[in-house]
Amino acid sequence: MRTLVRYFRLLQVQVRSSVLLGMQYRADFLIDGAVSLFWTATALVPLIVVFHGRPGVAGWSFPEALVVVGWFTLLEAILEGAISPSLTAVVEHIRKGTLDFVLLKPADAQFLVSTARFEPWRSTNLLTALAIWTVAFVRLGRWPPPLGLLAALVLLGSATLLLYSLWILTVSAAFYVVKVDNLTNLFNSVFDAARWPVQVFRGVLRWVFTLVIPLALMTTYPAEAMLGRLSPLALVGSVVGACAFAWLSRRVWLGSLARYASASS
Amino acid sequence: MISVRTLRKHYTVFKRPPGLRAAFASLFRRTPTTVKAVDGISFEIEAGARVGFLGPNGAGKTTTLKVLSGLLFPSSGEVRVDGHLPQRREDAFLKKIMLVMGQKQQLLWDLPPSETFALNRAIYEVPEPEYRRRLAELTELLELQDLVNKPTRTLSLGERMKCELAAALIHGPKVLFLDEPTIGLDVSMQATIRRFIRRYNEETGATLLLTSHYMDDVAALCPRVIVIDKGTLSYDGQLDALVRRMRPEKRVVLRLDRPAETRALEGMGKVVSSDPAQVVLQVAQDKVSLTVARALATLSVRDLTVEDPPLEEVMSELFSQNRTRTESAA
Amino acid sequence: MSARSTVRALPTLMRVGFAEAIAYRAEMLVWVLSTTMPLIMLALWSAVAADAPVGRFDQKDFVGYFLATFIVRQLTGAWLAWQLSFEVRTGTLAMRLLRPLHPMVSYGVENLAALPLRLVVALPVAILALLLVGSRALPRSPALWAVWALAILGGWLITFLANGIIGCLALWTGSSIKVMDVWLVAFMVFSGYLVPVELFPGAMRTVVAWLPFRYQIGFPVEVMTSAYDLPGALVMLARQWAFVLALFLLLQLVWRRGLRRFAAYGG
Repeated sequence: MRTLVRYFRLLQVQVRSSVLLGMQYRADFLIDGAVSLFWTATALVPLIVVFHGRPGVAGWSFPEALVVVGWFTLLEAILEGAISPSLTAVVEHIRKGTLDFVLLKPADAQFLVSTARFEPWRSTNLLTALAIWTVAFVRLGRWPPPLGLLAALVLLGSATLLLYSLWILTVSAAFYVVKVDNLTNLFNSVFDAARWPVQVFRGVLRWVFTLVIPLALMTTYPAEAMLGRLSPLALVGSVVGACAFAWLSRRVWLGSLARYASASS
Repeated sequence: MISVRTLRKHYTVFKRPPGLRAAFASLFRRTPTTVKAVDGISFEIEAGARVGFLGPNGAGKTTTLKVLSGLLFPSSGEVRVDGHLPQRREDAFLKKIMLVMGQKQQLLWDLPPSETFALNRAIYEVPEPEYRRRLAELTELLELQDLVNKPTRTLSLGERMKCELAAALIHGPKVLFLDEPTIGLDVSMQATIRRFIRRYNEETGATLLLTSHYMDDVAALCPRVIVIDKGTLSYDGQLDALVRRMRPEKRVVLRLDRPAETRALEGMGKVVSSDPAQVVLQVAQDKVSLTVARALATLSVRDLTVEDPPLEEVMSELFSQNRTRTESAA
Repeated sequence: MSARSTVRALPTLMRVGFAEAIAYRAEMLVWVLSTTMPLIMLALWSAVAADAPVGRFDQKDFVGYFLATFIVRQLTGAWLAWQLSFEVRTGTLAMRLLRPLHPMVSYGVENLAALPLRLVVALPVAILALLLVGSRALPRSPALWAVWALAILGGWLITFLANGIIGCLALWTGSSIKVMDVWLVAFMVFSGYLVPVELFPGAMRTVVAWLPFRYQIGFPVEVMTSAYDLPGALVMLARQWAFVLALFLLLQLVWRRGLRRFAAYGG
């Protein structure tokens, strides 16, 4: 219990640092927000082209696919605002050799490193996601069922956990590679596949995106929940899967740290 | 307080010879070599001591410090700091120590040092009254009043180092590891930092382990030195005993009104340097008083001092001795 | 430095650049994995085309198209903008300027030195394409092969020069990564990397025709998959190289101005 309180207090201090830092670079957030909007808008082009003149693809109609895109956009907002900034800072630490200072502190390294930086004002995509959902449901001519919304909220939690765990896995790789710039690239290329409903992918790829890199649990299942067609089994599976994935990523992180301590000089 | 027994730290490095074919081959098969950063050293340090860690570059000093602070795991051997095993990295252990690295910093770059202080206070769980008292002391001793509220990136190197030290001591560590803390600083800043560190040790009884290339640091702060070379212990004892062993002679520095003849000088001792205004002679311990008497009698001496040979010379001689020893053994 | 001595130094520069590129195995793996987007697009589009072709593309066409996209991306990639931005920010650009070699040449060589590596990755994919799609995967006549080679060169030049121009902006603003992000987004969509340009709705196609992106990926891919006959290909080639020329002149201008400012302010 005391540990929880202690870490909560630490979180407060970290958030305060981030806010102070953000106020130093105000122009940046305007540019970031604009870039995010631009990206979201242009990324809709492939979707429009795919659905142009067809009633549906792999059992998904255009408005239904838009719901998936909305979830993708929401997760991007969480990624940009809460996850990427601090984990990019880790990569910088490793490059400059100042990660040692984090390891010297009497607090969990993963916690310190994950809460180092928050930039909530970069999450303009939150609003974009809401806009996309509004358009989608207006086109569908109905609204999400209340039970479905509840399930979607639960899945929001598990999706965030999954996203975070994926990032931790990527950053753990930073201990092994010397030049870390490509890692963000790698993460983004893989994550980008989550904007499509997982049923569009066939065969091996669908299994990969459901079980190995569980993109399906992050966008497709929450979208299905909102559309009222998620099976209870899938809901439970998602939550359990997210927890298992989080546990796995923690193990990998701890292993990477131990290797860092044994291998460097 | 600190106990090290046959510490060994080896790590693997992959050789990569030049040339295109070798580069391509290294994609598939790499030749590992073992680097023995630390190869069997042992020492004990009691609480409150100030110990200097000396050695040429690559000797294993920084590696040893990192093992002692839990950042690196030993390949073999036993290390204990205040009863803890550093590699367990227990919270209780981490709260007792601090590692200050001269070439790297923990201060948040874009924010003022005061923010780093506040962060450290939360992480180390320093009680509020104790924090305030210590912060006031540190601010006064290090003259930080104007510095703590300016973003770190706007401070000069010396100012940053002072703030860095303050951030390191906010939680009042019992054991302080310092890795080249005065590197790159100007002479007066070095002196300030030295005075401060000494005072911290005297007032709190903290144990100090310092590595430095500046012999002035060592001379001013460390009565005891441990010399490491190529991962093994070369000397462990009092600094002045080391100097006496390496250079059992003293230096007599004469400032003359009128230049003296070389023959006359050579009769008194070995001439280290001689220009019209100043002559430096190297003389055996037991012959010092005789030489002084003769110099005063035969030369027109304006000023005379007797000193130890500079520490730098002693050290470089020690290191080259070790090198010839290992080369002849090889 | 004279052109002759530059040419004489080239082999060494290339060799060292290549050794640098393969110096770190883990990095290579990460980089290879991060360029897999066309393969995901491939899976996507062939699923879409499973029921009915999209435009003139049936499943096989998509396979051919995206495998070609993968290959073209490998051969025309450049990362100069990030490199330049980094070197300006850390001041290491000064080191490059001290050398008796034009920095742009050294950047270019470093970029090209990684090419053999990328060929190694691209070749198996090319063979795969041949097996899956047959002769439609590659250009059909020697003349078209020549056009393709020039198109690849043109595509690389456009990418490199655009990267250079954006990187030079860092000489004014300290870091131009954000501008590069915007470029990259536009590039991904409008170059044909994610969607064949042919399939764009009408209004978009006219916009895209005036942008350089399609000549970075779309055009070489289309030549490769025999979307043009010779006269049509030559017209497009001319357009591509017009962009190359324009970007080259712009880079000269921006570089010289930027360098003057860098020297004046010390970076």
